Order: sequence, then C-alpha cells, then structure tokens
Amino acid sequence: MGAPDTQWPRYEVFQQTRPGGRYQNVGSVHAPDPEIALQNARDVFVRRPQTVSLWVVPAGEILARTREELEKDPSWRRPAPPPAGATEKVYHVFQKRSQRRSMGYVTHSGEVRAANRDQALLRAWEQFGEGPVFVWWIVPAGAITSSEEADVASMFQPAQDKSYRLPGVYHTRTLMREAKKQQEEDKA
Amino acid sequence: MGNEVANDTARLAAFEARIARGEKIEPGDWMPDRYRKQLIRMISQHAHSEIVGMLPEGAWITRAPSLRRKMVLLAKVQDEAGHGQYLYHAAETLGATREEMLEALLDGRAKYASVFNYPTLTWADVAVIGWLVDGAAIKNQTMLAQCSYGPYSRAMVRICAEEGFHMKQGKEMCILYAQGTPEQKRMVQDAIERWWWPTLMMFGLPDDESTNSEILLRWGVKTKTNDTLRQEFVNEMVPQIQVLGLAIPDPDLYYDEASENWIYGEINWDEFWQVVKGDGPCNEERLGARRQAHEEGQWVREAVAAYAEKQISVQGEQGVPA
Repeated sequence: MGAPDTQWPRYEVFQQTRPGGRYQNVGSVHAPDPEIALQNARDVFVRRPQTVSLWVVPAGEILARTREELEKDPSWRRPAPPPAGATEKVYHVFQKRSQRRSMGYVTHSGEVRAANRDQALLRAWEQFGEGPVFVWWIVPAGAITSSEEADVASMFQPAQDKSYRLPGVYHTRTLMREAKKQQEEDKA
Repeated sequence: MGNEVANDTARLAAFEARIARGEKIEPGDWMPDRYRKQLIRMISQHAHSEIVGMLPEGAWITRAPSLRRKMVLLAKVQDEAGHGQYLYHAAETLGATREEMLEALLDGRAKYASVFNYPTLTWADVAVIGWLVDGAAIKNQTMLAQCSYGPYSRAMVRICAEEGFHMKQGKEMCILYAQGTPEQKRMVQDAIERWWWPTLMMFGLPDDESTNSEILLRWGVKTKTNDTLRQEFVNEMVPQIQVLGLAIPDPDLYYDEASENWIYGEINWDEFWQVVKGDGPCNEERLGARRQAHEEGQWVREAVAAYAEKQISVQGEQGVPA
C-alpha cells in the first residue's frame, strides 16, 4: 500500500473445462491490457489439460458481495432507480453455493439484463437466489475478454501432450512394492 | 467506545461460529485484524518460497541426464512459478499488494522456506528434493487446503493436485538410483544425508516454541501442529527409505512400539535460525538471483506497458471505447 503500481491492473480469470461448461473463477493475474491478461492467465492456469476457454475481466468492473455483506447492509434491495431512458445491458451472474473443498471460487449461474450493476444484483437475487448463496459476483458482459476458437490450438492443446505432468505416469507404487519384495528375498 | 468493544466481541463470536460450522471466510467478510495479518504473513512467505524454490533445481535444467528428465524438471519449475502466482493472488485478497510483497522479498526483509538456502550439488539432489522436500510440502499443504480462509484454501487444493507429480518423479528417481550402479546409489545416499535434516526443519519450530500456533489452530488456519505433521512425515518416510537400502543420517532414530512412532534425534535449531537470519550456505546467491531476474525483466515490463499505452491511444483515435 503506497508503493508505486508497477504490476498493472488485476484481471479476474474464469476457466471453462469442457465445451458448454460453466465458467468458474480460478484466481487473478496482473496485466497492462486484456490481451496480455489472457496470455498471463494461460501461463498461470493452463499447465494442466483441462481448459477449453478462458475469460478475463478487469477486477474493478466486478460487483462482489458475500452473504455476510448483504445481510449486514440490506440497502442493496432498494437500488437507486436508473435514469430515465437508461439502456439495459447484459450482466453475468456468478455464485459460490458450496463450502466443500474446491480449487475454484464462484461459478457461472446465468445472465440478467439491467441498467447498472446494482440493479443487476437485485435481479440476479430475484432470479437465482433460491437456496444458500455464500458469494455473488455481477460481471458486465461488455467487460469480458474471451479466448477465441482460433486460440485453442496454441493456448490449450499443448497441455494435452504433457502427460509427464500427471502423477499417474510415475509407477512409484509398483517400484516400491518390488523393492520391498527384493529386500525380503535378500533377507531370506 | 463501549459499543465499539461490544460490537467487536459480537463480531468475533460470529466469526468463530462460522469457522466452527466449517464455513470459509471470504474477501469482504469481517475478520479480526490478527487473522488478516497472520494470513498475509503466512501466504506471502509461502509465495516467496515457491518463487525462490525454483532456483535450487532450476540450476540443473541444463544438465539433466535425458530429454525426458529435462522436460519433467522444466514442467516442475514452471509449476512453482505458477504456484507463487496463485499465492500472491490469495494474499492480495487480504489487502497486501504485489509491490510490497516483491519489495520485501528483494530487499531481504521477507522470509521464505529456509530449505531453499541449501545448495544442489548433484543430479540426485533433484530426485531427493522431489521426494523429501516436496513430500514435506505436500503434507503441510494438504493440511492448509482445509484452511478457514477461502482463497488460501483454494490455492492449496490446486497446488496439491499439481504437486503430486513433483513428489512422484523424485521418488521414482530415488528408487531407480538406489537400485542402480554403485555410483548412483552413492549419489542418492549422499543427497539424503544432506537434505534429511533441512526437510524436517520445514515443518517449523517445535510446538512449545511456536508462538502463533494456538491462535492459528483456533481460527482454523491450521488444523495440525508442526510437531504432529513432522511426526507423520517421519513415520511415512523412514520405512520407505530403509526398504531401498538407504540410510537415514540420524544415529538416535528408533521405532517406539508403544506410540508406534519413529522417534527422531534432536533437530539443530541453531542451524535453522542461522539460515533463517540470512547466514545459510546460499542465502545471498538466492536473493542475488531474484534481484538479477527482476532487474533484467525491467525492459520487458517497460515494453509491455508502452504497447498497452499505444493500443489505448489507437483505439481512442478509432473511436472505440478503451
């Protein structure tokens, strides 16, 4: 805090692990622009073969609220009315719904149309608020930069061939069992 | 004033009740200042350890004995860079900035795992670091995956999933070298002798000297004490190392039937403090390498920033919102 910003703005990163699957927030990267944010996100989050698409969004564009925050100050239920004639835009709604062990955070649960983020939060709550929701994220569709179909070969395919990154290819259990057998034979 | 204190007491009770219910604390939720500070300390030290941890093994990438081993080691070192990034992100959610954290590392104020201040003398060190050092890290990280702070816990789950191969590639090499030529066996034995004690120190000070343990356990940051984790590790490792016909450099080591524990000899905490305080065999070399990397990356950061600025001005001229 106070040190000069040499690390650039933060972008939240969302990962899709199969075509048509729900995007999930996996963490963030710093970058000077969305294009490099995507590159950095690829380097940081795609060393394993389970990504088919990435979104990056400037962290400042996202409205994030925990259940505790919403309970503490209920004024979000009465957002200021948008100015007359304000056009509605698309907002993506992400939620955290489970306390189970996970490597991802909020998951995509749908879209709403609204004039601004505050109104989008209220509409999201009306539409997707059933059952416990621990965290809400409202993400303007216009703030998303997505990897493209043409990027798949260069960004995501290479991870498929690197099987040596998977623990299953090292047969340590068998090797250890054989070593044990050898030791017992040597003793006998 | 009285109300403030009463509020804080109520908030603390609610916070502790949430942890007791197994809920994760998330960015935006109320938390005691001490919880935030302890987590920033732990997570940033952990991040620095991943970053500095690239160096001892990175030195062997150009001298790997085969192309396969080289690809494996490259992938492992890349992972460690990524793990550092996951962890810096987790610390940022608590209000720490990357500038502060990087600055603290580069000017020598920040701590990182002292095990990385030991030298890697032969290729067998790569094998033993994977098996012992990563094995110990995984034990600690599996425990931290249960942490009450959501971002730290998620980073740990992701890191544990990825580190499985780090440990196994090292273990595979240790087994093969232990069964290999006399020279290979001698190398792996020598590496175990040098890394055994620094690995046991990775679990931190004994419980009766670990000042933060109690509050960290109470608030669900940790779920096991340093000594408990260290004992679990020793119990798992000793029989495996012995099966390979390798010796553990601890003349006092014995199996205690009553407790079913392998009881290890005294750890040299003087050496631990000496290394933590900067006088380990490689402290200067490690920080020197980090500073050099930071300085030599300066032109890249400048070029990328200039490119971003240019893109914004081009978009501005074309009337596209930046």
